Amino acid sequence: MSRARIGIAALVVIALIAAPAVLPGTYYTYLAIIVFIYGIVAIGLNILAGYAGQLSLGHAALMAVGAYTTALLSKALAPVPFFTATGLHIWLGIVVGTVAAALFGALLAIPALRVRGPYLAMVTIAFGWVIFKILQEWSSFTGGDLGISGVPKPRIASLTLIIKQYYYVVLAMFIIALAAQYRLVTSQFGLRLRAMKYSEIGVASVGVNVFRVKVAVFTLSAAFAGLGGALFAHQQNYISPDNFQFFSSVFFLLAVLFGGAGTLLGPIIGAAVLTLLPEMLHDFDTYRLIVYGVFILITLYLLPNGVMGALEGRGRKTLTDRPAGASAEVAPRWIAKAEGAMLEVRNISRSFGGLQALRNVSVQIAPGSVHALIGPNGAGKTTLINILTGFYQADSGEVAMDGAVLHLRSLSDAALAGIARTFQTIKLFGDLAVLDHVMVGFARHSQVGILGALVGGSRLRSEAERHAADARQLIQFVGLHQFENAPASQLAYGHRRLVEIARALALRPKVLLLDEPAAGLVAQEIEALADVIRRLRDCGVTILLVEHHMDLIVSVSDRITVLDYGEVIAEGSPAAIQKDPRVVTAYLGKSLAAA
Amino acid sequence: MYFFLQVALSGIATGAIYGLIAVGYSLTFLTTRILNFALGMWVMLGGMLTLSLVVRLGINPAISLVVVLAAMTLLGLVAERVSVFPFLRAGSDVWVMSTLAVGFLLIDFAEIIWGRTPAKVPGFLSNQPVRLGPIAMLPQQVAILVVAAIVFVALDLFFRRTLLGKAFRAVAHSGEVSTLMGINVRRIQAGSFAGACALAGLAGFMVVPLTLAEPQMGTVLGLKAFAIAIIAGLAAPRGILLCGLGYGALEGLISGYFYTGIRDILGFSLMIVVLYFKPEGLFGHPQEERA
Amino acid sequence: MRRLLTLCAVLVTGALAIPNVAWAQDIKIGFAGALTGPASYVGLEIKRGAEIAIDEINEKGGVKGHKLVLVARDDEHNPVRTVAQYRELVERENVVAMIGASNSASMLAVTPIVNDTLQVPVICPTTDATAITENDAKKEGRDSYLFRVGMYGTGQANFIVDTMVKKFGYNKIGLLNWTGGWGVTGRAELLRRVKELGLTPVGDETFENSDTDMTPQLIKLRQAGAEAILNYGLVRENTFLVQTKSKLSDETPFVSAWGIAGPAFWKAAGPIAEGVLTSTTVTIDGPQSPERVAFIEKYRARYNQNLEGPVFVIGAYDAIYLYKFVMERDGTDPKAIRAGLENVPSFKGLIKNFDRPVFTHDRHNSLTEDDMIMTRWTNGAMLPVNFDAKGPYVQIDANTRKYIDKKNLSLM
Repeated sequence: MSRARIGIAALVVIALIAAPAVLPGTYYTYLAIIVFIYGIVAIGLNILAGYAGQLSLGHAALMAVGAYTTALLSKALAPVPFFTATGLHIWLGIVVGTVAAALFGALLAIPALRVRGPYLAMVTIAFGWVIFKILQEWSSFTGGDLGISGVPKPRIASLTLIIKQYYYVVLAMFIIALAAQYRLVTSQFGLRLRAMKYSEIGVASVGVNVFRVKVAVFTLSAAFAGLGGALFAHQQNYISPDNFQFFSSVFFLLAVLFGGAGTLLGPIIGAAVLTLLPEMLHDFDTYRLIVYGVFILITLYLLPNGVMGALEGRGRKTLTDRPAGASAEVAPRWIAKAEGAMLEVRNISRSFGGLQALRNVSVQIAPGSVHALIGPNGAGKTTLINILTGFYQADSGEVAMDGAVLHLRSLSDAALAGIARTFQTIKLFGDLAVLDHVMVGFARHSQVGILGALVGGSRLRSEAERHAADARQLIQFVGLHQFENAPASQLAYGHRRLVEIARALALRPKVLLLDEPAAGLVAQEIEALADVIRRLRDCGVTILLVEHHMDLIVSVSDRITVLDYGEVIAEGSPAAIQKDPRVVTAYLGKSLAAA
Repeated sequence: MYFFLQVALSGIATGAIYGLIAVGYSLTFLTTRILNFALGMWVMLGGMLTLSLVVRLGINPAISLVVVLAAMTLLGLVAERVSVFPFLRAGSDVWVMSTLAVGFLLIDFAEIIWGRTPAKVPGFLSNQPVRLGPIAMLPQQVAILVVAAIVFVALDLFFRRTLLGKAFRAVAHSGEVSTLMGINVRRIQAGSFAGACALAGLAGFMVVPLTLAEPQMGTVLGLKAFAIAIIAGLAAPRGILLCGLGYGALEGLISGYFYTGIRDILGFSLMIVVLYFKPEGLFGHPQEERA
Repeated sequence: MRRLLTLCAVLVTGALAIPNVAWAQDIKIGFAGALTGPASYVGLEIKRGAEIAIDEINEKGGVKGHKLVLVARDDEHNPVRTVAQYRELVERENVVAMIGASNSASMLAVTPIVNDTLQVPVICPTTDATAITENDAKKEGRDSYLFRVGMYGTGQANFIVDTMVKKFGYNKIGLLNWTGGWGVTGRAELLRRVKELGLTPVGDETFENSDTDMTPQLIKLRQAGAEAILNYGLVRENTFLVQTKSKLSDETPFVSAWGIAGPAFWKAAGPIAEGVLTSTTVTIDGPQSPERVAFIEKYRARYNQNLEGPVFVIGAYDAIYLYKFVMERDGTDPKAIRAGLENVPSFKGLIKNFDRPVFTHDRHNSLTEDDMIMTRWTNGAMLPVNFDAKGPYVQIDANTRKYIDKKNLSLM
């Protein structure tokens, strides 16, 4: 961070600490506390919706879980002498409330995992609505629509915290929340999270367990909401379902979007503006909603990515179209001694509805070799690749690696087994930098989970440094050295393919499946690609190459398998295949048939 | 048996209303990939306009309906231009905020123009209950069912038989390709948004004699209609009426056999379960990400 | 450039936070209630009642020569905003007294800080949650700053049940209550009183905020043989309730607490509301005192419409006059006003004339069960129900008295 930024941050912190002493009365302090509490909830939602891309409209309900848990628990424990003396029931309630909300978040994750987009929004809305209704209906337990009054005031031993003292508690919690968000987002886990937002398939292909990541994020996000709710309950001493209805959830989402989703300070800016604005507009009471609506619309025109989204706008470097540079001569340390595995495809069949995509296909791919798979469009090549990487399951037959049968149920299963791939339709991560893309590829070899990200530590930092160094070597290896920090979305099509390859290599695969890597490349780039493939083979990686470019195939392959209408029609060396009449008839065309 | 039928039928008209509004969500989503989150407020606007035209100005309901539909279409076009079109390419979820902002504006305008006291709009038909044996339904409820059925059949014919309908389906499938085919995608997008608003206005017109005309009348309706659209599958307008009717009847049954308090709890929980097993909706098609 | 413009816009909006300047010698009374959003007509009526009273007082020279000013805020029915606004009104606007909010949840939220921190008196014209006046401060023997000129939950429920059981002679009581807001406490109070009279309700049904059809509940109550249906609810839901009753041709006697005690109900429900009974503290139909008549005229002239919710308007009006009386005698210090309110030996109010202390130290509710009246919706008017040897009746005009058929509450 630049010196100016640190200076501003220091000033802000000092102002926040001094505020209660300087501001008269309790009104401003109260507003500040509310803003911090909403800010904590908004940070939680920002992690989920802004960074992980899971649009949730049920956060008010998670806040309610925290609030009601602490209200009921602390009220129940209040008469117990130990707690009456120490006041610990309040703080215990806050902790338990946070945990309870986290558990509900995990619960919400289960149905949420299966859906996306508006369907996910609906699941979260329904979840929030059900909780809201339970709070309203179960009046013997929750007090019904009139809620719970007499929530114990915050207390340490015999000192009841007045509002100006409670302010510091809330401020501290808020700063912790900001710090946790920062830690999470800048960690390797956070990187994977952001990548997942752009392409779940992309991260799964390097071994990230999308299921587990989503559950973890939902849980953490809910914990933030629960903490906010618990702090809220002890501030208000009275909670009712009114505070936690659907439109409260909408408010939090608005705050995140307005402030700038996926930015660090966005949620607090959004929470502050959307809370304080109605307070300041009390002269316009009748027209309040109109002013609100117009204000939002105007801001959206000017700042479509939210306030912080605009302020944090990247300095886009203009990249000229440059050819890929010469690849490094030295093989990267990471894959220098790769253990290429033997891959056996045994009698694989697969149909989709009435269409038989693959019929009794058997292929043997020798370790450390380049094996090409060719055939007309629709022959089943990509289907086979998808089966080999666990994206589809075969109807019959099996896949074995080094003799052991593999049971692959998902892309990440395949990645963990050591099978990496690139995609026919490139699955990159938006405008994350090239270096970041490759760093994501190290997921399988990383110790950093969500807890690790929050806690940090030197071990994780050194891991990140090692991976970064290896990543740079891989990037150099594919010839993208000068684009290391460029946003991947700005690269030329052919270069984007190379990014995918570098990312796949980060997995340190035993087998690398390349799905039409030369598509869209010019001759010079194809030559560079061929070079990369050859040197990978020299490192010992087993490569299965699906391609249409015969020149490329002939120049790099050791063996070729030809598919047509889901069946193997030929297999052999490049020279043999070129002359095989069946292949020629099916695929290669008359000019070569004449040769 | 009487009880079963009576409570189920008492909910079914509301279900038809959910269906009418839900189709609006689907239409907008298919052509623009965004959702008009404030559609419920548009229903309210239709209801309030009906209040003014039929009650305050004493205009014949049939003519009022035409005026309401025209007004909603026009306002819908304006709103689309202002709150949807500028953000279609943004790539973020900005449209959530912009459509909601328009919704806030509508509520506030309604409060200023029509006041806040709930007002009664007398039924366009008689108040005598229609009797099917021992079962009683209000004529308005029967009218809603009839109108909903007509609308759905009309929409179905429109999409299948007319050129404009086919153009719409093309845009729903792929906007880029449709442009290449010479279809004016912008017009289709604006038209479907406005069409959804008109349908919402129709729903408001039909439902307001059964409820009360007030600025808050649309919010819960809009939310439940959204749920219906999702459960049926946003890309499957045909199943939407069925889901709406089914859910309305279910609400009636739960209220009858248990109590109303638990209605939303069971209903929304059921929705979560349905989406868990069919993430693309009951009538939707699995939209697999291709690898 | 764009960013700069936006930042400027934000700053300008912030500058609007500077409050209006009022003269230092004005006496400010605050109000925070729902002025927009659901049930905002309640808040609006309270504000209007207060405004009429304040203008009258100022015309006659104010309070000891000082002008009274009403500072109003819209809390959007949201307790968090109510709390913020109470703090703001007391600390920044320096109000010396408050008029209570429009819904119980908001009042329950502000009660603790009013008693502990802000310490200005609040008189509530509505919101009948008993816990507002029977609050923690009162229980702990400290000064309670909350007062009420409206009806409180326990008393109203007693009145309704007692009237139905003892005066109308019903034994099979059915309950049909709103699950929202005061419907929660209302239902509990009704149940309590029914049990205290040695009865068990034959049915205990509820309905939600957005319900438009109460078919299942009404059928169940009818099948259980309910002779009367007791209810706590507001205008909107009760409108649908009577609509459903009409659809089912159900004529069971129906009595509701004061949620529907205003023209708003007849406006919404229409003639099918005929025969519904409502308990209330004040009706503007039937014989009225000259002061009331004058007040009703004044409201109509000023706001171009009839009163929508007489209870709220008149309650706020009386509250302002109570403050005036106490301030003229005891000064404008909030603590003195509070103490003074507990010592008003008699008071001519629009709700009623008090020839006993309005409030006492232990009783911060000005009205008791004996002050409540039962009314019958008769052709658009809430006519008081009286009893003589022949049974319950309403006075249609000076000469006509019509008796009520206890089976279905129609006029005989």
